[in-house]
Amino acid sequence: VSARQYKNSHAVDFVIVGSGASGGVLARELAQSGFDAVVLEQGPRLAPADFEHDELKYWVESGISNHPVSNPQSFRSDPASRAQQLPDRVPLRYARMVGGSSVHFTANYWRFHEIDFNERSVLGEIPGTGFADWPLSYAELEPYYTKVEWEVGVSGLAYASPFDPPRTRPYPMPPLPVKSSGVLFERGARKLGLHPFPAPMAIVSQPYRGRPACINCGFCMGYGCEVMAKSSTLFNMIPEAEATGRCEVRAESYVFRINTDRRGRATGVAYYDSEKREHVQKARAVLLAANGAETARLLLNSASPQFPRGLANSSGLVGKYLMFNYGARIGGVFEHELNEYKSVQCTRILHDFYNADPKRGFYGGGGIDARIGAAPVIWALQNVAKQPAWGAGFKSALREFPRSMLVACHSTSLPLESNSVSLDPELKDAWGVPAMRVTYRDHPDDLAFARFHQARGEEILQAAGAQKTWRIPVTESTNAFHLLGTCRMGDDAGKSVVDRYHRTHDVPNLFICDGSSFVTSGRGQPTMTIQALAFRAAEHIAGFARRNEI
Amino acid sequence: MDSSRRSFITSSGQALGAGWLALNWPGIAAAAAHAHDAAASPAARTISNLTAEQARDIDAIASQIIPTDDTPGAHEAGAVYFIDGALGGFFAAHRDEFLSGYGEFTAAFAKDHAGVRFADVAADRQIEFLKTFDSTGFFQTVRFLTILGLLAAPSYGGNRDGIGWKLIGFDDQHVFEPPFGYYDRDYPGFVPYESQVKS
Repeated sequence: VSARQYKNSHAVDFVIVGSGASGGVLARELAQSGFDAVVLEQGPRLAPADFEHDELKYWVESGISNHPVSNPQSFRSDPASRAQQLPDRVPLRYARMVGGSSVHFTANYWRFHEIDFNERSVLGEIPGTGFADWPLSYAELEPYYTKVEWEVGVSGLAYASPFDPPRTRPYPMPPLPVKSSGVLFERGARKLGLHPFPAPMAIVSQPYRGRPACINCGFCMGYGCEVMAKSSTLFNMIPEAEATGRCEVRAESYVFRINTDRRGRATGVAYYDSEKREHVQKARAVLLAANGAETARLLLNSASPQFPRGLANSSGLVGKYLMFNYGARIGGVFEHELNEYKSVQCTRILHDFYNADPKRGFYGGGGIDARIGAAPVIWALQNVAKQPAWGAGFKSALREFPRSMLVACHSTSLPLESNSVSLDPELKDAWGVPAMRVTYRDHPDDLAFARFHQARGEEILQAAGAQKTWRIPVTESTNAFHLLGTCRMGDDAGKSVVDRYHRTHDVPNLFICDGSSFVTSGRGQPTMTIQALAFRAAEHIAGFARRNEI
Repeated sequence: MDSSRRSFITSSGQALGAGWLALNWPGIAAAAAHAHDAAASPAARTISNLTAEQARDIDAIASQIIPTDDTPGAHEAGAVYFIDGALGGFFAAHRDEFLSGYGEFTAAFAKDHAGVRFADVAADRQIEFLKTFDSTGFFQTVRFLTILGLLAAPSYGGNRDGIGWKLIGFDDQHVFEPPFGYYDRDYPGFVPYESQVKS
């Protein structure tokens, strides 16, 4: 498929590890700026016609995501205990294919607000946490948020939310059609004096740059889009990078080590091809965009006598400060049919509880949305009221499917040094590479806010006239799709892994840009910000390369 | 995805050009996918991983989890065929565990019902017994697999003719147009707020 192929021995300008939300953007931007780029992606390359409406394959089995047998991970909530594999699942899940998790994401595309970047200065220290300001402001990132909306393709209504941060351009296309869950959510929330608004989504509501408008099939969350209406990098950034003639995307190429020379500079990366044969791709600079879990693992697996704690890890912080975003949910059933399985997952959200309020007695902020309660299987397994669990009563609860919806409450996770990705001392993956060990326990404030937020969500359902509502219990997290914070940005080389331009403090020609760069978690829906960071990083990296500063 | 849909889309692209395809693809892909779903041959109704007696008991348990009343239940959906297939397929790693759980189930049942199988007693006695057994891992597993057997894609052997989907009110189409439900029919449009709230 690729327009151009490079030899391993040819030192390309950039080798990019990962082809997802950020890797795709980096590849396109650098290739369009005139540089050679080889993108190495561990997973396969699939086409829209390969995607299916198959809940068993995509949700019960690992489908297009990392597999618990070939890509195992261990988990523990207590850093003092021995980590164990979870039955039939991995704690940190991502789509393992060209396009990465931008293929299977739900496509909620909020911008972060100004407060997300300087909250530590506003609120002060939170003892026992790594709560810190970002080394950049919302104003610095704003042009790149706009770039994401136009280049990647986001549907939405500018300034619909009174809490929206400033913007320089409207969205390129209107919001997707409202669903019944959105109408009910809006009705209930307005009654309570709140400010619901059309959800910004990275799904095109009109034909856009050669891609057709959404056909409302309903299978977004966890699935690939069969008509390319979802703005996955597989459908936009990757083909646009290849079209330059300066970018090769090599699928089924699993990078397991970054190589360095005696001067401490990166020389390329070692990877396995689909036959598990080892290769080395030489490069003048290495860009990691492997996601907030795999990027940290790759750096730790690149330890050498020169870098005994792992590459770019003089701070000891590679893998630390892992953050998820909490997601509390409430189910509701109404008198008439909503048919939430039709169309995109989410059409109305609100940001009234975005800011933390010290008067509550705990830190936290978030955004609430109205959405489908999942397609039939997952709805029946997870989101139906728990009791009765079987028999005539259960069957009658199953038949509430068309009349049901969820309210989802997305919120902050505080950065804790003890929450981390590290290497499991024994567990190896199918290639014999040390597997990741995940240590995670929500901060008590994260859970307290999630419960507070969930109560607000339930009030909205009740105000909308739900016949019944139920809260899905808020318990400690043991899994996540939002993989954030493990190579945090900062000006102080002792307290961060990358600088404000995503260059590692330790290795001048090694850059990292993905969810791992986050200093704080935001309130949810991180991909928009990951891509804004990637557009900004690419501009700076291209500048460094032109000025011979790499 | 079957090869006919893939080759159909590919050949359409070559014959008609990318511009035409971009505008018309959603309809084509959806129509092709739907034709594929409709043409999918139902999995054979054979039991190959369970014994006939095991299958009768599992079918009986599944039939109490999602019973048949004036509407079809797990039995009509063929959940037991799904479960049998799963034990040789995606759930094969748990087959031994499943069968030993089944052994515990029959042993527990036999304590008060000597000489008679679970599948052969009246529904009220089945329900009474399951109430004493529904916290076990085995029951939870059968429940999990029964739900899948009711609602997973028919190509896995359950959800015969989409019975499960019809039961709960899910329409297996690829293209929908608004209004999607009752409440979005008369939506007047989004009314903007008067002013920005500064936080």
